[in-house]
Amino acid sequence: MPPDRLRRALNPASAVVVGSKKADGYMWLRNYSTFTGSLASVQIDESEIAGIAALGITNYRSLLDVPGDIDYVMLAVPRPVAPRVLADCAKKGVGAVALFTSGFAETGEDEGIRLEEELLRIAREGDVALIGPNCMGVYNRKLGIRQSAEQAAGEAGEVGFISQSGTHAINFGLVGEQHGVRVSTSVSIGNAIVVDVPDYLDYLADDADTRVIAMYIEGVKDGRRFVRSLRRATSMKPVVVWKGGVTTAGARATASHTGSLATSPAIFSAILRQAGAIAADSLEDTIDVVKALLYAKPATGGRMGLMAMTGGQSVVITDAFVGAGLQVPRLSAGSYEQLRSFFNIIGGSYQNPLDMGGTIGFGGSAATLEKLFAILDADPNIDGVAMEMASGFLARRWQADPSALDGLLDALVGHQQRSAKPFVTILQPQHVEDIVAQARRRMQDRGLAVFASFDRAARALARAIAYWRFRAGDE
Amino acid sequence: MSASIIESARADGRRLLTEIEAKQVLEDAGVSVSPARLARTADEAAQVAGSLGYPVVLKVVSPQITHKSDVGGVELNLASADGVRAAFGRIVASAKQHQPDATIDGVAVQRMEPAGIEVIVGMTKDAQFGPVLMFGLGGVLVEVLKDVAFRVVPIDQRDARQMIHEIKGYPLLEGYRGQEPADVAALEQLLLTVSTFVEQHPEVAELDLNPVFAYKDGSVAVDARIVLGT
Repeated sequence: MPPDRLRRALNPASAVVVGSKKADGYMWLRNYSTFTGSLASVQIDESEIAGIAALGITNYRSLLDVPGDIDYVMLAVPRPVAPRVLADCAKKGVGAVALFTSGFAETGEDEGIRLEEELLRIAREGDVALIGPNCMGVYNRKLGIRQSAEQAAGEAGEVGFISQSGTHAINFGLVGEQHGVRVSTSVSIGNAIVVDVPDYLDYLADDADTRVIAMYIEGVKDGRRFVRSLRRATSMKPVVVWKGGVTTAGARATASHTGSLATSPAIFSAILRQAGAIAADSLEDTIDVVKALLYAKPATGGRMGLMAMTGGQSVVITDAFVGAGLQVPRLSAGSYEQLRSFFNIIGGSYQNPLDMGGTIGFGGSAATLEKLFAILDADPNIDGVAMEMASGFLARRWQADPSALDGLLDALVGHQQRSAKPFVTILQPQHVEDIVAQARRRMQDRGLAVFASFDRAARALARAIAYWRFRAGDE
Repeated sequence: MSASIIESARADGRRLLTEIEAKQVLEDAGVSVSPARLARTADEAAQVAGSLGYPVVLKVVSPQITHKSDVGGVELNLASADGVRAAFGRIVASAKQHQPDATIDGVAVQRMEPAGIEVIVGMTKDAQFGPVLMFGLGGVLVEVLKDVAFRVVPIDQRDARQMIHEIKGYPLLEGYRGQEPADVAALEQLLLTVSTFVEQHPEVAELDLNPVFAYKDGSVAVDARIVLGT
């Protein structure tokens, strides 16, 4: 697929939905209600046309009747009609067609396989960039073209997403948004019979809005080509790969979902490491790693300075970071000398981890917290800093007095801006999940990397560091 | 040399190279192997042993016999010409007894290499990704614990280093409890050489160097197996 073809497909100025209908609440027209370009509908069913007109969308009886160029078509017609409408798209010279319709080769039945072959032939002969079939199409946040009406539209996001599952594509957009991970371009690729993972990967690697690429895949069709595109992409920006079907039963599910061939999990993970890609194992895990890549500064060293409010937390935060393969070394003599002069060791300690709740008045004394940050930032033994927020004790206080959190955040943001070392925070949901969710958004809005557990923060940061090492030629 | 060996195996309709052939092909590619030579008679075996230097190992050579030890087809640590002659007789008799229909070409004679740390280098072809190299420590660590590292071909220096370092048994290569450490640089080079060989020989479908003895200086492949594609 030539790059400019895909660029047009993924950045359309005009779009048409074919087959929008009342039964699904005119889903595709609603998904594209935020589209910044021109939008039209094609529907021949008289009983549907009034509803489409009521949405303020112009309807045509045939794709060939739509005036002007069409960059992108969402095709949601019954399976037997799909080849004929695809042929119209070819005749019209549309940039790309996303085929929502399912029931092709993934069913394993003869009719589905035959129809898919027909689609492939029409797309090849007519030079149509076919996305899918069996897919949710494109989500371009900036252009307001979406896979679900719940997805956000507006400014361009920073993360590209390629997904062999429509559900995971939608959820990556929705859940990511809640975590400060905004999508640049996401594609639900379905059966990917024409445009495939390497094409999207090449595009996202070159896309200026995209800082990080993530993907959900169940298998690849041309392994050597996948590896080539993956290597090229990782030499330009981080790529996170969430692979589904890594157990025997999961691989069986994969075969019936997208018809992917299974490679042994051990070989696949070796391939990711060899290509410098980052492995993730769930939606949450993918978002965590992306978050660390977006918000924590790049570093190649793994020696952590850990800050917790209480003794028990300072023990388990240490276990988590060491367990993830990072180090928690002793601080420099100079740091200890400074800490000795003011650190409250009654109910606290500063070995690294810093058990600092008493010293900083549980966040009440921002000036003291800033001193601790400055010491860790200057310490030559420390490459990065992680801080626990004591949400179980403090969330109700932040809710009662929002300025209490603001004061604390000023200190955190100040440190993050001054320091060249990666900084991550841990805000556990504890028994106050709803309040913590609000606090998390306030922290994210100020550009902080916030994680729900020590383990998740540690594993995410460790993989980000491994990537930056790979880029530096270190690992 | 390699090309003619592979061609003649194909001409014979064989996919499995003999150990002697496999080692010759690998030696030509720059892999350090313990060379094996074919002896058709007991006297020839003694003569070859004399030229290689004692002690030696004898292994039955037969296109039909793949598991040589199972048919009494391997004798180790033979220190004299008489010992070699006697072993030749025992091997041929035992192999015939276990597998009467097998054609026995003779025995392969090779030096009995000093023991080192046993490692394995292998290559298989993945349907999606093509040739995949495997590295592991020999014996139980590979068979039971599956403590192996993979990379797709071609590999670079960093891949070779990572393959060796990422197995759990890596500390054994650093010299565990007074044992001499292995020459990790030589093992890296071995992996790179095998990667290049595999790239240049797409007709090779499977390859096993098992075991390779890793020493303080260098390494040597004691047994080798090459299977050609169909």
